[in-house]
Amino acid sequence: MTAVTGLPVTPSPSRAPARLSKGHPMSRVWNVVRLHLTNTWAMLVTPGIILGVIFLANLAIWVIITRAAGADAPEAIEGTQYSGAALFIFVYMMVVAVQAITVTFPFALGYSVTRRDYYLGTSLLFVLLALAWSIVLAALSLLEEATNGWGLGGHMFTSIYFGNGEVAPRLWIPFAGLLFFFFIGAAVATIYMRWRMNGMIVFWVVSLILVVGLAALVTYTDSWPAVGNWFSTNGVVGVASWSLVPTAVAAVTGFFVLRRATPKN
Amino acid sequence: MIEEGKPIFVQIAEQIENDVIDGAIEEETQVPSTNEFAAFYRINPATAGKGVNRLVEDGTLYKKRGIGMFVAAGARERLLAKRRGEFRAEYLEPLLAEAAKLSITTDQLTDMIRTEGTQP
Amino acid sequence: MTHPIAPDAVVHVSGLTKRFGSFTALDSVDVTITRDKIHGLLGRNGAGKTTLMQLITAQDFPTHGDVRVFGETPMENAGVLRHVCFIKESQKYPEDWRVKHVFASAPHFFENWDADFAERLIADFRLPTRRPIKKLSRGQLSAIGVIVGLASRAPLTFFDEPYLGLDAVARQTFYDRLLEDYADHPRTVVLSTHLIDEVANLLEHVIVIDEGRILIDSAADDLRGSATTVVGMRRVVDAFVADREVLHRDGVGGLASVTVGRLDDAERRAALEAGLELSPVSLQQLVVHRTHAGSAAFEVSA
Repeated sequence: MTAVTGLPVTPSPSRAPARLSKGHPMSRVWNVVRLHLTNTWAMLVTPGIILGVIFLANLAIWVIITRAAGADAPEAIEGTQYSGAALFIFVYMMVVAVQAITVTFPFALGYSVTRRDYYLGTSLLFVLLALAWSIVLAALSLLEEATNGWGLGGHMFTSIYFGNGEVAPRLWIPFAGLLFFFFIGAAVATIYMRWRMNGMIVFWVVSLILVVGLAALVTYTDSWPAVGNWFSTNGVVGVASWSLVPTAVAAVTGFFVLRRATPKN
Repeated sequence: MIEEGKPIFVQIAEQIENDVIDGAIEEETQVPSTNEFAAFYRINPATAGKGVNRLVEDGTLYKKRGIGMFVAAGARERLLAKRRGEFRAEYLEPLLAEAAKLSITTDQLTDMIRTEGTQP
Repeated sequence: MTHPIAPDAVVHVSGLTKRFGSFTALDSVDVTITRDKIHGLLGRNGAGKTTLMQLITAQDFPTHGDVRVFGETPMENAGVLRHVCFIKESQKYPEDWRVKHVFASAPHFFENWDADFAERLIADFRLPTRRPIKKLSRGQLSAIGVIVGLASRAPLTFFDEPYLGLDAVARQTFYDRLLEDYADHPRTVVLSTHLIDEVANLLEHVIVIDEGRILIDSAADDLRGSATTVVGMRRVVDAFVADREVLHRDGVGGLASVTVGRLDDAERRAALEAGLELSPVSLQQLVVHRTHAGSAAFEVSA
């Protein structure tokens, strides 16, 4: 402050907006994506490290099998294509989704982000993450195939469930799967943000009743063969595509639940 | 520095007046800006501005556009005249009231003032 | 419903009620927050200060009533909310963050963000930027909020008891930086606090809330001298205050100390002539008297 700063005896007119600039909607949504990615560790590095550790553990197992099984090794190793080792990443992404929302929602509202922009930005983040991880998984499955299971005939990224066949399904199956887990996680997190523990209790009780009820319905109507048929006719790709229906329902539900949620500290 | 019970802007105005009377700020020199007063006294700038404005209105200060506030020529003399006018109500009357309460006669009071006045 | 809204009103709240179950946190509140002034939002714990700010900043939903910010409804209104910064009392930060992450993300959300100013404040408050949020002391967490609130330069900034755990030196730093920056960049500030004595001189406008109702809504200058404590012989004091509204009464033996409303010059002289002593009432004392609270409800600043 200098002695010659003029003399605004009454403070000069504020720069408070006469006409409220809303900013570009896309940049507001993108800011939420950036907020989530501020600390890259939680979002990207940690799942990567976990995936790496699991992969190394698998490699070790394959080496042991190869040594121990001797002549039967190829057959034993072939069994690893039923391994669900890489499935962890799908479930882990549900955890990531829940954490992302419970941690940043109250914080983002403190930064004066609207619930709408917050949810759209978070959804965009999930789509981008699903895309990135499905590319990584597809690339690793191709690599695994090209190196004949890392020289050991092992299967982690080329399991029976995904990661075989054309490039398109190798991308599509994990993409749809990740989206499913992200948005289920998002819906659960929004229910928690809105109704807290009570919401969780009601949600799990209702979910349990629905699952048991559905199973009972299928059993009493002798429809299990039909269910099995549905899965085998649709194939993994078909099931992945159909998963978009519950994914979309979860995504839309999450949006409307969060719209009335209040951040509590 | 800021007392309770009296509007702060009045106290700021009086503080500047005192500085002018003491000669701490001479006529035709610049006084600190509103923001400087605010920072120094740790008060709201708008309140400081109100105090300064009060002195602009009564002609003690004047504004040089784009530069700042200056003490007007003849301000010291005018303030002295004003303060002399207020002296009676602010100092003399309470003094006499207190003296009466303590049964000090006017003569005793005059004596006290004489002796006190000669001491350094 | 249309209200005549003053042209310099940044926030206009009318008939605002918020209930949590059977508890009424705000009871038909009308209040206006004026452009480019520093407002004090004062009151006891649970008086409704935080609820009022949460409704104004669209963190929570009103039960009844109308909130206008920059003339519009703030709820889900990006145009309004982008110009608002709300520093919460115990803001939670993402657990895995370090201090630097807060200052890396904040600029995206506040278009007036001043990174240099933030740097200076970080140095002033000696905030370790590489330290994980989890390992910060209460005072350091508060310092983050204070820095974000100041450096955001949002046209409408709320500080909800921002000083928790901050020592006297750090609080003074906050007040000094707030005044300096406000002088250079006037904006609307709402400061909710218990430490009334500390902030009294910073405020241009004072809003006191008690049990969900607005008790005082007045220019700070008007409040100064709006109450006086009259001390003296009980009989004389009682006679003097006979037909006045008494805010507070205290006494020991034959002495009485009674706080009444504003006295004009003639009344003051009359009181002095009657042998009574007059002493001014600080804003804090005034709020304590008006909320009928024990002074313990307000921390006495050191």
